[in-house]
Amino acid sequence: MRRAAALKMLFHDRATALGSVAGVIAIVFLVGQQLAIFFGLTGFMSSIADTSGADAWVLARNTENINAAGSIPLSWRDRVAGVDGVAWVEPVVITAGQLRRRDGNTIGVQVVGCNPPRLAGGPNRFAQGSIADLLDPEAVTVDKLELPELGYPGVGDALEINGKRVRVAAVTTGLRGFGGTLLYCSIAKAREIAGSGGDRCTALLIGLSPGRDAVGMVALLRGILPRAEVFATADLSRSTKLYYLKNSGIGTSFGFTTLIAALVGLVIIALTMYTNVISKSQDYAMLRVLGARRRDVLYIVFLQSLYIAAIGILLGFLLLAGFLSGTRESALPVSLPWLVGPALAAATLLLCLLGSLLAMRRAVKIEPASAFR
Amino acid sequence: MRPAPVIQLQRVARDFHDGRQNRRVLFPLDLSVHRSELTIISGPSGSGKTTLLTIMALIQRPSQGRVLIGEQDVAGATEDLRATLRLRHFGFVFQNAALIPALSVAENALMAAAVQGGAVTAAARRRAQEALDTLGMADFWDINVSKLSGGQKQRVAIARALVNDPELILCDEPTSALDVESSAIVLKTLKRLSTEGRAVILVTHDPRVFPYADRLVQLVDGRIATDTGTKHTTDASADA
Repeated sequence: MRRAAALKMLFHDRATALGSVAGVIAIVFLVGQQLAIFFGLTGFMSSIADTSGADAWVLARNTENINAAGSIPLSWRDRVAGVDGVAWVEPVVITAGQLRRRDGNTIGVQVVGCNPPRLAGGPNRFAQGSIADLLDPEAVTVDKLELPELGYPGVGDALEINGKRVRVAAVTTGLRGFGGTLLYCSIAKAREIAGSGGDRCTALLIGLSPGRDAVGMVALLRGILPRAEVFATADLSRSTKLYYLKNSGIGTSFGFTTLIAALVGLVIIALTMYTNVISKSQDYAMLRVLGARRRDVLYIVFLQSLYIAAIGILLGFLLLAGFLSGTRESALPVSLPWLVGPALAAATLLLCLLGSLLAMRRAVKIEPASAFR
Repeated sequence: MRPAPVIQLQRVARDFHDGRQNRRVLFPLDLSVHRSELTIISGPSGSGKTTLLTIMALIQRPSQGRVLIGEQDVAGATEDLRATLRLRHFGFVFQNAALIPALSVAENALMAAAVQGGAVTAAARRRAQEALDTLGMADFWDINVSKLSGGQKQRVAIARALVNDPELILCDEPTSALDVESSAIVLKTLKRLSTEGRAVILVTHDPRVFPYADRLVQLVDGRIATDTGTKHTTDASADA
C-alpha cells in the first residue's frame, strides 16, 4: 500500500517528478555518452596492439606508446625465436606517411607493415576483401569509417603514400588509429614508404606455444634482450592508453565533462525532489499525525527516489542505446565496455539517492503539529 | 459505575520559548475524556485550543504535568511510541479533510492502517467499507478524492479516522470549511460515533456546533474558563 501510495504521490505532481526523471536521464545519457566516446578514443590509441593477435611485443627501449615506437634490429628475431615456448616471431614496421588523395589533397596516415606469409599484426575485421589481399606487394587496406577522409577510394584504386604507389586491396571495418588513419600493407611496402632498411623493424610480435604464460615469457625475454622493451600485449595496450592520458588533456577533459554532467543531473534531482517534498509537506504532516514515524516518512521519500532512479535509468539507457546504435557506423569513436553499463546504473542510483538526501532531510523534519492549521 | 477515561490530563501546562523568554500558553489544567461523550473545546483565537489538542493527540509534549492513557503516563514517551499510540488509539479529522490528493477514496481511508508499513488487514478494509457505506460514500471507493466536494472529503476523512477502530477521535475545526448542510452531516456523524461508544473531542470556535456537545470546555488565555462537566461524574468541577 505504501509503495503504491509513494508512486502516486510522486507522480501526482508530474512536472517535478518528470524533472527528477530528466535529471537521472541527464546523468545516464550524458555520462554514458562521454564514457562511450572516451572508451572509443582510448580503443583507437591501442588498436594496433589490440588487433595484433600476438601474445607479446618486443620494442625499442623506453617505448611506452605503440604509436611512437623507435626501431629495433631485425636480428633480435633470431634470439627470440630460439626461446623455448615461442611459437613464432614476426616483425612489423609502423610508420607515418602522407597519403595523396585522388583529388590531390594529402592526409596524414599511419601505416602498419606486416610480414608475409603469416601477416601477423594485420587487420582482422573486413568489410571487403581479406588479409590475404595484403600478400600483393602494392596492397593497402583502408577502413570503411575513414573512407570520407581518404576521398572515398574503392578497391583497386591506386593512391600514393609518401610518393610511393599503393593500391587499395581491402576495406577493414572499425580499425582506426589514434595517430592518423590506419592503413595496413606488407612489411616491404611499409619499409619503402618509411625509407628504412631491411635490417630494422618497429617491433617483433611473438606468438606463444599453447599453455605458455605471457607474463613469464615477458620476464624471460627481458633477461635475454636487456636493451629492449618487452610487453605482454595487454600491458602494451594499457601502457599506450596511459601514455596518452598522462601526456594529453584527454583524461582531464573527459573527466571534467563527465563530472559536470553528473553534477547537473544531481542538482536537477536535488531541486525537484526537494520541491516535491515541500509541496507535499501537509500530506506528510498529516501522515505523521495519523501515526507515521519519521522513518515511515523517510521510507516514502526513499521509495520515490528509487522510482525516479529506476525510471530515469531505464529511459536513459534506452536513449544511450539509441545513441550508440546511431553512431556505430559513423566517424564518432564510441565504445562502451559491458561493465560500464551496470557501473553507470549503480553510480546513477547512488547519485539519485544523494540528490534526494536534501528532500529526505526536509521530509523527516516535517512536524506533525503543522497539520493543524 | 463511572467508566475509566480514555485519556487524562493532570496538571498539564505548556510553555513556548519565543527566542528571548518562555511564554506560557497553557496553564496547569486537568481534563479527563470518556467514551460515549462528545467534548467540544472552544475558545477565541490564541486561547490555547490547538495547543491542548496537540498535547492530547500526543503530538506535543507538555512542559509539565501527566498525560495518561489507561494507567500509562505517556507525556514523556518517545516520539516513536507516541506515533504508535496515535495509530492504535486515536482517529483524526482535520479542518480541510487533509486527504492526499493523489490517492483514491479507498486509498486515503486505508492509509491510516498502512502508515507504519505492512499489509492492510481485512478488518481494516472491512471497517473502511462499512464507514464509507454508512457515510454514503460507498460508490466513491475508487474515485480520486480531488473529484469530491468539501463535504464528501470530510466524510472520507471521518472514514479514515475509523479505520483503526480508535477509542478517541480528535477533530480540529472539522466544519469550518463546510456549508451548512455538509456541516450538519459531519456533526451528526460525529455525534453518532460518540453515542456508539467512542470518545470524540472537537475543537472549534464556532458556537453553532455547541448543541452537539455532551460536554463543553471553554478556554480563555490558556485556562479552562468554563466546563459543563462530563456526564460520567456528578462533580463537573473535578476536571476543572
